[in-house]
Amino acid sequence: MSDISLRSRFRLGGTRARRLVLAVRIIAGSAIALFALTTPGFTSPISINALLNAISFIGCVAVGMTFITLTGNIMSLCLGATVSASALVFLASLSAGVLPAFLIAIAFGVIITAAQGALVGFFRANPILVSIAGLSLLIGGAALATGGQRIYPGGEGLQMFKGRVAGIPVEALYFFATVVIGQLILSWTRIGRVMVMVGSNPRAAYAAGVGPASAITVAYVLAGACSAVSGVLLAARYGSGDMELGAGYDYTAIAAVLVGGTAIQGGSGSVIRTLAGVTVIAIIEVVLLLRGFSQQLQYFITGLIVLAVIMLHTIGERR
Amino acid sequence: MPILAVEGATKRFGPNEVLKNVTLSLDAREIRAICGENGAGKSTLVKVFTGVHQVDDGIVLVDGKPTDIPSPQRAQELGIALVAQELSLAPALSVLDNIWLGNREVPLFHRRKALRERAKAALEKVGLGDLALETPVSQLSIGRRQLVELARMLTRDARVFILDEPTATLSDVEIERIFSALRALKAEGKSIIYITHRLGEVFEICDTVSVLRNGELVGTRRTAEIDRPHLMQMMLGRSMGEMYPRWETKPGGAMLEVKNLRVPPVVQNFNLTAERGMVICLAGQVGSGAIEVQRALAGLVADATGDITVLGQPMRLRSVPRSQAANVQFISEDRAGEGVFLRLRVGQNLVATRLSEHSRFGVLDHPRLRAAATRLAGAAGVDRGRLRSPADELSGGNQQKLAFGRAISDGEPEVLLMNEPTRGVDVGARAEIYRLIRQFCDRGYCLVMASSDIEEVLGMSDVIVSMYRGRQIASYRRGEADVQRVLADITHPVAAA
Repeated sequence: MSDISLRSRFRLGGTRARRLVLAVRIIAGSAIALFALTTPGFTSPISINALLNAISFIGCVAVGMTFITLTGNIMSLCLGATVSASALVFLASLSAGVLPAFLIAIAFGVIITAAQGALVGFFRANPILVSIAGLSLLIGGAALATGGQRIYPGGEGLQMFKGRVAGIPVEALYFFATVVIGQLILSWTRIGRVMVMVGSNPRAAYAAGVGPASAITVAYVLAGACSAVSGVLLAARYGSGDMELGAGYDYTAIAAVLVGGTAIQGGSGSVIRTLAGVTVIAIIEVVLLLRGFSQQLQYFITGLIVLAVIMLHTIGERR
Repeated sequence: MPILAVEGATKRFGPNEVLKNVTLSLDAREIRAICGENGAGKSTLVKVFTGVHQVDDGIVLVDGKPTDIPSPQRAQELGIALVAQELSLAPALSVLDNIWLGNREVPLFHRRKALRERAKAALEKVGLGDLALETPVSQLSIGRRQLVELARMLTRDARVFILDEPTATLSDVEIERIFSALRALKAEGKSIIYITHRLGEVFEICDTVSVLRNGELVGTRRTAEIDRPHLMQMMLGRSMGEMYPRWETKPGGAMLEVKNLRVPPVVQNFNLTAERGMVICLAGQVGSGAIEVQRALAGLVADATGDITVLGQPMRLRSVPRSQAANVQFISEDRAGEGVFLRLRVGQNLVATRLSEHSRFGVLDHPRLRAAATRLAGAAGVDRGRLRSPADELSGGNQQKLAFGRAISDGEPEVLLMNEPTRGVDVGARAEIYRLIRQFCDRGYCLVMASSDIEEVLGMSDVIVSMYRGRQIASYRRGEADVQRVLADITHPVAAA
């Protein structure tokens, strides 16, 4: 048993499962593409537009979720509520002007998730439980603050968050900007690399002298900022807001992260992958819609896809 | 007639033969030690007996009849019971419940009294007659838990008890209790397979000993007919010179000084002066404190105290970055758990601790990182063609080189704290790692290593510090120590009384 043969065995063993997973991905991707392109009306400007919109709102949240998943904290159940709450904050502070309101909303989202990140990072609290607590606090707090009413603010200048530039919906531009910035943070900054290290192996990160706590907190900060962007876009689009606005976004976002191929255990994945994941899910939804399937069936199919992807990951990790 | 035997047992994982044509048999009323280095095949053999693995070639015989053991359940039905290092008791449940937990003989509606009586009888046989059946297992010491586990196996009519390093974490008194329980089982007609690293125990409690090396059976001897050096020779199978580099000890002046190091609850007062260019080995078993000293110096122990100086500068404990700033780097014995980022690439692993050096305002300088990774790979003997492969595709030996590459520096010589440098590393890569260590000591590094591998300790060290239960027993210069003395120090030191 020379070192060489042992090495090649492991290499083969490791990549064989990975190759299988890759093959399944490619086949599934092609099938979806084929399915989409043969659906009448899929390539029409209207459905492409719908697709871009669907991608944008969910996509920002999914990019934020990517950071949480990557650092090994699975997911946050609070991001949907953060979307809604920052939309409310944005609408409520519109009287100060659009740009200040935007910044206030982002700051609000960041504060909400930074607090959770600090609990998870510094006190090693369970991320899922912390996010459930955060969700309750947000919903309760919003009900107290708004008296349970929808908000319809007056205000001008929301054009910078809706409409189109060169035929592309503005929402999509904000989303793509979020993707680019997110990926740059991940692959070009020290803290981005540390996040991946922490997700891959928190004990090794600690032993290597890079603090897991601050990296985890930063991941949550980014998740909050991304969710707030989504909240602002939604608020601008509908011109009003309540806590239902982002409900269920966390679930679709984690689905997109997983479909994209980011490992649920953390330590492997990227924002670009999440972009792919969110696109796939949006395509499926639009296609189902065009073919006349109900909303309920869409949920059903999304659930099946997430299950399939999780199984695929399990196979890929197996030796 | 032997109660349990294997003939020509061969087990492969891919092209890798971990058991090669092993033949051995165990009689009733026999306590059999199985010895061998890490990776010799001991645990694979145990897994064959307990139905976790099946042999590729050869046969397993129970009561002289060829028998398949396709599952751990079947092994239990055949009366083969494993007392693993990780005990399988449920801490929150009582002794009584643990004894009957998962026993399929017990019907849903049963007479509690009969179960109590049988449990009591079994506990008496292992020397726990005084133990109240309602005591929660969590209140028992590890040693007593092992005895409860033995009693549990007894109620299942086990005939062969397999103990995997039962004494590794026990005190002398507890070890003595286990031994008397084993003698009692033997008197009952039971057979015992006893896996251990402690050669003293082989002679104290076992009737016979089988030695495995690289998956092959070297031989089986009666302990009465063999002595310790002979047993060592069987285990190692080669002169130590081929494995280890030759070198001249060149004292280079104190590099690391440790005074009054306390690492609660194990280490009370540890002192050490480590010189530049030297390999200092802390020799000790699990619980000796050697690993704890290393972790404390690395900054990983929250309540460690002591006066540490590196090259005359004081170094504060309890923070990994501070230890690193003092050029003290740590290489964990637990590669997968704490050492290597398995999902990251090899290159990313190599630069994991140097991101700040190679970034400006928090933005990574990728060309410099790549250059650093390539340089470090070259220095540590990691294949440069694999910098972009995930680290989990590397073999154990290459992962260890990777961990070493991450710890060394481009510039100033450092103090390296390395635990169990060759655990899970095959023989060829071992020699490479030893050469690597020596090579860096020649460049002025100081290497402190904690090891429970006596052969390695004697083959690599300039200074050996033997440790037992948190205390330094003795210190030897190179050439002063021999296997017996170090083994005696780290197992049952004379001075320990």
